[in-house]
Amino acid sequence: MDIDIYESMTKMSLSEPERSEISAQADRLVNSFAALESINTNDVDVLFTVLDIKNVFRDDAAIKEIPKETLLSNAPEQYDGYFQAPKTLE
Amino acid sequence: MSYFIEDYGVRGHNAVALEDSIMQKGKQVTANSKILEGFVSPFNAAVAERLINAQFTVAGKTSMNEFGIPSLLNGQTEVLGAVKVVSDGVVDYALCNDIFGQYRKQAAENSCCYIHPTYGTVSRFGIIPLASSMDRIGVVCKNISDGFNVLSKIAGNDFRDGAMYPEKTYKYEISDKRIRIGIPKAVTQKDELFDENVTKTLGECFQTVDMELENFDVYKQVVYILSCAEISNNISRYDGVKFGYRTPAYRGVNELYINTRSEGFGTDVKLTALMGAMVLSQENYVPYYEKAMKVRRLIKNSLRFDNYDVIALPCSIGNDPYENLSLYALSALAGLPSVTFKHNGHNIQLVGNVKREDLLLTAWEVCRHEL
Amino acid sequence: MNYETVMGLEVHVELSTETKLFCACCAKFGAEANENICPACMGMPGMPAVINKKAVELGIAASLVTNSEITPCMTFDKKNYFYPDLPTGYQITQWFAPICKNGWIEIETSEGKRKITLKQIHIEEDAGKLVHDNRIGASLIDFNRTSVPLVEIVSNPDFRTAEEVVAYLEKLRLLLSFAGVSDCKMQEGSMRCDVNISVRKVGSTALGTRTEIKNMNSLKAIAAAITFESQRHINALETGSEVLVQETRRWDDNIGETFSMREKEAAADYRYFPDPEIMPIEIGDDWINDVRNSLPETSYDKYARLTQELGLSEYDSKIITGSKNLSDIFDGTMKYFDNPKEVVNWIIVELLSIAKGDNKGEDDVKIDCRKFAEIMELVDNKTINRNIAKKLLLLIWEDDIDPVLYVKENKLGMVSDTRLIEDTIQLVLKEQSNSVEQYKAGNDKLFNFLVGQVMKKLAGKADPKIVNSLLADAIKKDDM
Repeated sequence: MDIDIYESMTKMSLSEPERSEISAQADRLVNSFAALESINTNDVDVLFTVLDIKNVFRDDAAIKEIPKETLLSNAPEQYDGYFQAPKTLE
Repeated sequence: MSYFIEDYGVRGHNAVALEDSIMQKGKQVTANSKILEGFVSPFNAAVAERLINAQFTVAGKTSMNEFGIPSLLNGQTEVLGAVKVVSDGVVDYALCNDIFGQYRKQAAENSCCYIHPTYGTVSRFGIIPLASSMDRIGVVCKNISDGFNVLSKIAGNDFRDGAMYPEKTYKYEISDKRIRIGIPKAVTQKDELFDENVTKTLGECFQTVDMELENFDVYKQVVYILSCAEISNNISRYDGVKFGYRTPAYRGVNELYINTRSEGFGTDVKLTALMGAMVLSQENYVPYYEKAMKVRRLIKNSLRFDNYDVIALPCSIGNDPYENLSLYALSALAGLPSVTFKHNGHNIQLVGNVKREDLLLTAWEVCRHEL
Repeated sequence: MNYETVMGLEVHVELSTETKLFCACCAKFGAEANENICPACMGMPGMPAVINKKAVELGIAASLVTNSEITPCMTFDKKNYFYPDLPTGYQITQWFAPICKNGWIEIETSEGKRKITLKQIHIEEDAGKLVHDNRIGASLIDFNRTSVPLVEIVSNPDFRTAEEVVAYLEKLRLLLSFAGVSDCKMQEGSMRCDVNISVRKVGSTALGTRTEIKNMNSLKAIAAAITFESQRHINALETGSEVLVQETRRWDDNIGETFSMREKEAAADYRYFPDPEIMPIEIGDDWINDVRNSLPETSYDKYARLTQELGLSEYDSKIITGSKNLSDIFDGTMKYFDNPKEVVNWIIVELLSIAKGDNKGEDDVKIDCRKFAEIMELVDNKTINRNIAKKLLLLIWEDDIDPVLYVKENKLGMVSDTRLIEDTIQLVLKEQSNSVEQYKAGNDKLFNFLVGQVMKKLAGKADPKIVNSLLADAIKKDDM
């Protein structure tokens, strides 16, 4: 498995010891996945939730429970009521 | 060792320990991950709220695997906090989220019981998510009957979680049904002791039915593929911008993300995140992720609960954590309830049909009195 | 060599719901930064997504007005990417089973009528807003817009000219705003349009290298961006001055050119997968019919009603039905004052010119329809004259006064006492005897001057018609 591609997708960078440990595990897992091939899934629909339930909705009514200050208080950096991050445009 | 990450000092019969993935208003919650360091929840999880409304108190927060992901390499070496507090008699109950079976296995091994409820009967509101299609809060307890009492206080529809059955409350009562136990021979044979002793003694108290778990050989792959993808997605919110850990050293947003996440996650979480990205990536989606979702349907549809009421399974088949995942995959993939407990020196797992916890309770009572 | 431009459009339209798509935060535009946020839409863990029913209903309405085939069972999916305006690291959208497919819209241009076909419409959540602050050298993040519901309307590559694109967007705006789906304001970002564009030699069927242009916030900017970009493509092909690459380009309205968006260059793998938290949504015929039956009057039906039933001119009717907002003001005012010609006249002549003075267009005019109608009523029952009425309208616009009360308190009611008017006329005739003489000698213009003098003495509070006739009588009598 080419780990580099997935490191960049998941925004992580592995150290060398981590890389060798993870590569070994990943290869083992990927090898085990080959067993899926032999299962016939023609005409089978995907199942992404086990619940056989449909049409669960919320009403369109506004509720405000937690003040802005509380929600901002966890931020590593904030400025003037905004969350702050490094510049995105170079 | 210390049982708690944080101990509120509350004890007694109404004290319940909560795994560190269950949010409590005004309290730090980290799921044992550096990436959530310092994160204080501004609200209560539905289960915490309901426990408090039912006159229970929170004893403390128990330690856990980072985000609840067990190590595939080393297996589970230490006893998890939620099991240890109950087995050592510090509290009578602990709540935790168990997708991969580490709590179910350890509870039985440490003379406790575990109740893993039907998916969609306990609210996930305020639970640090792992794999949303499988997440559910269960109960570590000394006694399954008492454990169901606690479960009855927290189960029931919550409008803040859209993936739930509509029932507002659940009663877990002993049934007078004669229980038929399904024995998947091909699986139980993998644990010789279980196969020889447990299936025999179960046969003395229950009608047993030989059965087959179709596609059992790929249970672990299916549960792994689906869960790693969902986990990879659920943990992408941890980026050092809004809450939790932020790396001290970065130039630009991309480096902020990479350094924060590389420093904030442990190896098992990184493996899971990378595998999740892999199975969802363009070239692998169809052969892995879509395939696993289809096999999941085959597995769910292969069950025949009209022929048996409960399926008996061992709690381990050898020492390989990945192999053992197969034993806990059935309830994860089909949303089924299960209980694990120790009886006559054997660790037993019983899996029931959706919303038929009553039959698990009944089977346990029969075992307790007759075996 | 002759080239033709081939374009497909992706139009994002914010739905007119009270709350966001997956949480109960207010979804309205214009609040202070991070005022409308909660744990869910700022990306905290432990907040399962539960979908807003109204958003689905507006999605059905959008499907109906675009003649689309509604998906009987639709689902939601997660799209993964990292960006500071996306707090969860994923966007919930519809990838595998969008709400509808295969719609069409008829447009009219100088070339005549033609159908534009739609690939699909899907419902999704909006992202937050980034402000690049140079003072502190950082990006500031506002999550108010995060998770506001959108529909993305994806057309097939059917467009050949900027005129067609503009006609299509105008038509979409009318269809969606009159159906109550969205207010479709480009300036506020509730309607946004990305253009996929390529050029090819006339007669060729293969598509050329495609670029996507973003960041146009008016129809004018869209037309300009299309003209610029297609010319850039043609130049590249003709002269080989540059090699076209498939990329996303940003329109800069000040410079009038498109620029490559390097940050988005790396081919993204969004890792779409079904969202296990959102149960499938079945849209049956009953539900579709309920939505269809509750759709408000379309712009076209309203135009027909105004011209045919209410006898309004085509010109006036077109203005009123060209804006959902004006059309609402018309209906709202008609409820209190049932005189269509008068109401339309007041809207088009008076209200719009006051609004224009405040730099507000048809879609931004706001007026209390009851008060607006009261002014017309006061004129109609001759309590005030038109000039005072215009002043009242301005006072409502500026200070939200109550017109009836204001007229009473400031004694603006017209003088209905004929005796008082006659006495005033006698006074003026005396004071202005020279002018009276000249008028009698044949200088007709001076009649209006004399009327003006009388009105002035009465502080403008008399009906000019009555003053006219009484003055004429008085001069005649004076003659005898």
